[in-house]
Amino acid sequence: MKKTISFLVVLMLMLGTLSGCGGGGNDDAGSAGNKKLNVWVAGSDNMRILYEKWVEDFNSNTEYNPDGYQAVLQFLPAGAGGQLVEDKLIAAWKAGQKETDFDLVEMGDDQISRVMGEVGPDLLVPYDPAKIPNLANVSVRPPIGADYFMPYRGTTVVMAYNSEKVPNPPKTVEELTAWIKENPGRFAYNTPGTGGAGDSFARTSVYNLMPEEALMSDDAKWKDQWDAGFKYLAEIHPYLYQSGGRVVYPNKNQGSLDLLANGQIDMCPIWADMAISQIQQGTLPATTKIYQIEPSLTGAVNTLAIPSIGKNPEGAHAFMNYVLSPEAQLLQLKEIAAIPLIKVDDSSAALVTGLDVTKFRTQSIGELYVEFNKRWDEEIATLS
Amino acid sequence: MSDILQNHAKRKKRNQLLSAYALVLPAFIVVLLIVAYPIVNSVIRSFTVRGQEGFTLANYVYFFTEPRELANILYTLFVVVVTSVLSTVFAYALALYLRFVKSRVSLLIGRLYLIPRFIPGMVAIYAVIVTIRDTGVISRLALLLFGVEFQPALMFNTAGLLTMNLWFNIPFSAMLISAALAGIPDSMIESARDVGAGRLCVFRTMIVPMSIKDVMVAATFVFMGNVGGFTTPYLIMGSVQPKMLGISLFDQFAKYADMERAAAVSVIMFLICSVSAVVYIYSNLKERAWEKQ
Repeated sequence: MKKTISFLVVLMLMLGTLSGCGGGGNDDAGSAGNKKLNVWVAGSDNMRILYEKWVEDFNSNTEYNPDGYQAVLQFLPAGAGGQLVEDKLIAAWKAGQKETDFDLVEMGDDQISRVMGEVGPDLLVPYDPAKIPNLANVSVRPPIGADYFMPYRGTTVVMAYNSEKVPNPPKTVEELTAWIKENPGRFAYNTPGTGGAGDSFARTSVYNLMPEEALMSDDAKWKDQWDAGFKYLAEIHPYLYQSGGRVVYPNKNQGSLDLLANGQIDMCPIWADMAISQIQQGTLPATTKIYQIEPSLTGAVNTLAIPSIGKNPEGAHAFMNYVLSPEAQLLQLKEIAAIPLIKVDDSSAALVTGLDVTKFRTQSIGELYVEFNKRWDEEIATLS
Repeated sequence: MSDILQNHAKRKKRNQLLSAYALVLPAFIVVLLIVAYPIVNSVIRSFTVRGQEGFTLANYVYFFTEPRELANILYTLFVVVVTSVLSTVFAYALALYLRFVKSRVSLLIGRLYLIPRFIPGMVAIYAVIVTIRDTGVISRLALLLFGVEFQPALMFNTAGLLTMNLWFNIPFSAMLISAALAGIPDSMIESARDVGAGRLCVFRTMIVPMSIKDVMVAATFVFMGNVGGFTTPYLIMGSVQPKMLGISLFDQFAKYADMERAAAVSVIMFLICSVSAVVYIYSNLKERAWEKQ
């Protein structure tokens, strides 16, 4: 045992030394004209593939990278239990580090609220729109920290439907309600708390009947206004997907998508990127189409930001400009079915036409989601 | 002289003892760290409520008085008991068949029934879902072969959950019971038959007593393994109420972020399991009547 421990300690020390050496090498590259640009991204593997392609393309791109910056991807796989970008960044800031390798960081809305809530804008430098000409074509901005977080991709929950069975899908929530009642058993949403699509459908169903600002607030007072929405969810409940004679809700986003793929339902809310990639891979029938309903389901933009403790803001601006180029935007549409923020001329863009990122409805109800899911489990899941 | 020899023997014995401890120690430390510590931690935590000081029974009162939660506990017991009983009965029948019928078919089945042990659980669940769902293989075959619209209605249904549990547990139990039956020598059975014992008599008075201990062991293993079932009920049952305790535990920590109640659910599951652990230990310690002489 002792041997094992000492072996592990030695191993860790060795690894520490090695990574230390790596760090030293970075500094050398930094002093030599500071061409090196560390891009920090966390996420699932498709993000790694996308960013590897972007970095490779950027490094040899003379149009968007005339100064020859050398981007290096620092990828952290999500769901592996390790620290993610915002954890590392906040830790470095709190430890008082300056001149770190955090040259450019990728962040979604959860990370944005965390960084802004825990540290505040001092951690970042505002980006300079003059150095990002491509941003002129992008009108959407994140709801928090718009001067610091530059949007580069959209994700949203949409309605997916079987266009063979439903040639004219309902445009508004009222029409959807009528459609659900006319077609009992043909609509489903996944259990809230098991996937973002069901969360978004249940929450917007409730918040559609409340003042607009409620969806961006974690104030507990809004709980009192949930009643009408939960009544609505109970009202449509008997008309949803049934198995063995009773209404059931599948777990996970993929659960409702599986029902759609097998023709057990004709319509469900789902993440746009999930639907698009699965249509492209053929696991969803080609007759599957997506669109946004009015008032819309919720979505968000993912962003890039420049930490104030980084070393290469110039290179960061060049990379930010690159990712908003038509080439880069097309690449991310093809790789991860991300909704481009600029107009992309390509056949694959047909799938996302009609998904206007400027109309994305954002939400941030904070810890209220716990109460919300609990109430759903108690009031809706228990209905017979 | 004899002193020296004695001392030598003592030292040798002590050294042996020390090396035995040294060999056990790593496993002991690992068990202490990753089994005992979390259990103690959960038990302590289950008697607290966030934001409040001191010891409280509130979490347990909640789980045993709230009708929805009580229904979850009873439902879990129901599913687990039915799974254990059915899988043991089926597995016993299968093991008997494999042991005493020697034919090509039984040989083939004897090989095939091991296959499920080598299929990853998640893959197996999705494979069964593809088969049993209302638009699945069964339904399509019914339409294709007989022109009948047939919906098995097993998905989101306790029958489907039990089917999946049996899929996992029959081969497992059959394996344990087969090992026990293999230990019964043919010569014993033959001599009993020679003196005129009928098949049923041999089964009742010889085979059952000689294998019942392992049957009980198999049943308790199935029982314990299914109390904490998560993936199968999560994927097959969806939001259907009441839920298995594994799902209830997931709800508490992942959906409601209530670690104290989650700890209480874990302790309740642990207590349910320990009932069958008692049966297991008891049936292992109990001397068989015919072994006593």
